[in-house]
Formats: sequence, C-alpha cells, structure tokens
Amino acid sequence: MNKLKFKDKINVDLLIYLAIVVVSVIILAFLDMNKFEYNYAISIIEKSLVYAVVALSMNIVTGFTGLFSLGQAGFMALGAYTTAILTIPVASRPNVYYMNGILPALENAVVPIPVALILGGLVAALFAALIGIPVLKLKSDYLAIATLGFSEIIRAVIASPMMDKITNGSYGLKSIPGFKSSVECFAFSLICIVLMVLIINSSTGRDFKAIREDEIAARSVGINIFKTKELSFVVSSFFTGVGGGLLAMFMRSIDSKTFQITLTYDILLIVVLGGIGSITGSIVGAFFVTAGKEILRFFDEPLVVAGTEIPLFKPGFRMVIFSILLMVVVLFFRKGLLGGKELSIKGMKKYSRKKEEQNIDEGGAV
Amino acid sequence: MENILKLTDMSIQFGGLRAIDSLNLEVNKGEIVAIIGPNGAGKTTAFNCITGIYTPTSGNIEYLGQSIINKDPEEITKRGIARTFQNIRLFKNLSVFENVLIAVHLRYNDNIFTSALRINYKQELAMREEVKALLESQDLYKYRYDIASSLPYGIQRRLEIARALATKPTLLLLDEPAAGMNPHETKELTAYIKKIRDEFGLTILLIEHHMDLVMDISERIYVIDFGKLIAKGNPDEIQNNPKVIEAYLGVEENA
Repeated sequence: MNKLKFKDKINVDLLIYLAIVVVSVIILAFLDMNKFEYNYAISIIEKSLVYAVVALSMNIVTGFTGLFSLGQAGFMALGAYTTAILTIPVASRPNVYYMNGILPALENAVVPIPVALILGGLVAALFAALIGIPVLKLKSDYLAIATLGFSEIIRAVIASPMMDKITNGSYGLKSIPGFKSSVECFAFSLICIVLMVLIINSSTGRDFKAIREDEIAARSVGINIFKTKELSFVVSSFFTGVGGGLLAMFMRSIDSKTFQITLTYDILLIVVLGGIGSITGSIVGAFFVTAGKEILRFFDEPLVVAGTEIPLFKPGFRMVIFSILLMVVVLFFRKGLLGGKELSIKGMKKYSRKKEEQNIDEGGAV
Repeated sequence: MENILKLTDMSIQFGGLRAIDSLNLEVNKGEIVAIIGPNGAGKTTAFNCITGIYTPTSGNIEYLGQSIINKDPEEITKRGIARTFQNIRLFKNLSVFENVLIAVHLRYNDNIFTSALRINYKQELAMREEVKALLESQDLYKYRYDIASSLPYGIQRRLEIARALATKPTLLLLDEPAAGMNPHETKELTAYIKKIRDEFGLTILLIEHHMDLVMDISERIYVIDFGKLIAKGNPDEIQNNPKVIEAYLGVEENA
C-alpha cells in the first residue's frame, strides 16, 4: 500500500501564495512610504481588502453551506459599532458625543484595536447565534428575507434615540482610529482570510459543503443539519463583524446609513461576480468591483473630442458602464468569474495538460 | 436469532391518506430481507420512517431493542442504520474521496477549533487512510479525484453504497439498488450485496423491483400493497402466494 499523499498538501500553491503575500507586503510598504503620492491607490486597496474579508465570510454561509443570507450589513454594523465604541480615544469622546453625552460605563472603556475587532466579531456572532435559532429553519428566499429584515432592525435600533448614549444615534461615530498603514490593514485582512480558508478546508468545512450539496444525504451520513448550519452562520457572522470593524477603521467615521441594504448588495455582487463557492473568487471579486468602480471614474469627466463635448460623459455615467460590465460578466460567466473553482497553479497545470491531451487527440485524428 | 429491527403496528398518515397501515416487520441479524410491492405501495415511506425522515403516526420501531421513534435521522445513522436512496443522493459537486470522507466524520470527534487549526491532524490522517482502504476494497479508488456527478450511473450507485458503509452500519437499507440496471449489472449487484453482507457483517433490508435479484438474494420477503402487508415468507412461498400474484397482475375476471 503506497502511503497517502496527505503531505502533498504543502504544495507549490502554498509557496506561491506565500510569495504573493511577501510581494504584496513589499509593494504596500513602498506605497506607505510615499503616502502622499499614492493616497488614492492605498485607499482603494484597503477598501478592497476589507470587502474581501466580508465577501469571503458571506461566501462561507452562501457559497459553502448553501444558505442564502442577506444579513451582512447588519452584522457588519454590530462589529463596526463595537469596534468604534471601544477604540475612539477617550480624549475625543466628549467631542463625538457632543449632543447627548455618553453612557458613563463607556466613558473610559478603551481596548487595543485587535481586541476590539475580536469583540466586534463576537457581538455579531452572538446575535447570529440568537437569530439563527428561529431563522435557519427557513429555506432559500425565505431565509434571505428574514435575514434582510434582521439587518434593517439592527440599523433602526442603532439609529434610535434610546441608543443615543451608546451609538450616538443618527449622528454617528467619528474619530475612529484608522489603519496606521496599509500593511496593517493587509495583516488584519490576511489573518481573517487565512482563518476562513482553514475552516473551509477542514472537516467542519466539508460538513458545510455536504449540506449545500444535499441536506437529506447529509443527514443520512450523520451530520446534524441544524447545528452545522448554526455553526456556519455564527462563524460567517463573526468574520463579517470583524470585517465591519475593519470597515469602521477604514472609514474613520460611521453612522447607521453606512450599513444600509445597499452595502449587503455590494458584498453579494462581489460574491456572485467572483463565483459562489470560490475563495479566490471572492478575493479577486472584491478588488475587481472596488477598483472597477474607481477606475471608471474617467467616464464621469467631461470628454472633448475634436472640439465637441460628448454628451454622455457626465457624473453618474460610470455607474451605467459598470452595470453594463456586470451584465456582460453575468451573461457570459454565469457561475461568476471563477465559477466555484479556485485559482491555483495546480488547476492551471491540469488545464494546460487537458489542452495538451486534446491537441494530441486532435493530431491523431488527422 | 437476534432481532435487529422490529416494526410493530407502524402506521403513517398524510392528511387523508394512510400511506402505511399497521405494518409489522422483523429483521434478524445477518439476514437479507426484501420489501416488494407495486409502485406507490409505501415501501420508500417505510424506509423514511425507519431512518427518521418521517415520524410514524402510530406504532413502534425498535432497533436493537430500543425504540427509535422521534429520533433525528443523524442520530439513527449514528446508532448504526445506513441507507441509500431510490434516486441517488450523492454530494454531486464533491469528489468521490470527499463523498466518503464526509460519511466518516460521525465516528470522529471534531470541533471547529481542532479542525480549523489542524490540531486534529492525526485524526484527519486516520480518516483519510480509512477512506482510502474502503475505496480500495470497493474498487473505487481509481475514481477518487472524480466529481461524483461525472461518474457513470452504476459507479454512482456503488459510491452511494460505499458512502453508507463508511458510517460503519449494522443495518443497511437499500432503496432499489438495481434501478436502471440491465440483467448483467443486476447479477453483479446481487453478488456484490452478498459480498458486503459477509465482509462487513451487515444485516440488509432492501426494496427492489427486479424479481431475479429479490428471489436470488433474500432470505425472507415482505409484500406490501396500498400500505398494507399482504404476504410474508421465503421466496418460494411468495412466488406461489395468490394474493401476491393478484397484487402484481390483477384479478382474473371470469365471464
């Protein structure tokens, strides 16, 4: 019996990913050193990284467990507010809560940023665990509607006057400490992504996939459907909460309007575009969508060709172009850019080998 | 003989329809027992009751002397009843290896922290070795990287049985294992079922329409029609039972 090649898991791909990480850090460090010159690029990269974390967390529940949840914005809000409340410098607090004052208990509550992010994730996870009990009994569209409703409730509660002394109501929170550098943002995002990838590729992740594939078959091999769904929902929400915290750090100021349903749609767009059930898809999708929206700004500027101004080039036109691009992608890549597959060297090798075999076959036929 | 499964007066009602009407059935250790009957007789419903997908309206189901009524399907699987489905239910987009690997999970204690942080590395390795051995014994190892839905029909059937075996069952329920197979394949399957019964020390309860297979393989046969048990006995008795012939062929009308 030849030994199982489990150790092959430490493969070329892992080295490639490490190389990508190292190169990214070097590039980001370079950008950080020339902060003023590359301010714009840095902000796009940071936003993409944050969105990649949230998109991947949504993919855990939607793409890998097959539960169509639209509660993303709500869980992000929970994480963002928790992080913000616990990290705004004490000195700035009277300034932030200038209208209604702050709850005495929170006046001096400050924790280090990583702790605040984890707490933000835990708050989101706790809420997910509670609402998961009734909601996860629902299927497909019904689950989507229920989680959507939950997300709006969270937003309404955050903005309500009763919460003024905690969330500052409709005034929102500002003076949130941002990322010291883009490398810091990269580090936080990377940790989240690596943890999620480890979960997806573990035995727990396999249980998630079994449920996605066939619930009845999953039960017939002894998987507790409810527990596993709940676990997936809680884990996903934890990382969504952390992602929300990262978004708060990126934006430096948040209010309840930040977490409208459009935010969920943005994330959903990334997940669908990148490929439901694809890890690399979510990451590539996050950069594609975030950067795409910015690069297309060119269409918002007036364009003069041969002395005449082209009428379509007006503010807002880029969103038209962006939407058309999306339609093209959805029409031609129905399963998303990566369609449930992963970007990997192994995959590319397999693909090129298939091509080669095909060529040989074709050659033989002639 | 030791009693593995015992159904006493089990009935299930869906609205106005009594899908199964006080069914009594026993399966002894090491036996191969078949349930036959015309389409819509309630055979698969009986399987769904035994495996906990449906809860019977009345009556009792005992497995190894304990009632398994109101137990969840996953709990019943853990106690040692595995099954296959009439219309194959594989994890379609996962590989053959993963399909079987998932079925091994229930016998190992994992939680998200040990599995995500790879603290269960040794356990994962043990699971994989076990799956490898099982796939090799079932002659499926060469398909291990293939996506389940890409396999030929017959292989998918065998994979589904292998997945059920991976849960280390005492009692195996096969729902029309020979559906869609030609006589030659059916013959192979007959031998295969006997083989796994001996190899894994199984007790097998199966639903089947292929009479060749049923008569060849079963020690005892139960015949159901319209939810009611109309006959039971060994293959010879069943073949000559007028009620069974009536159920299958209809009553002869004398002028």
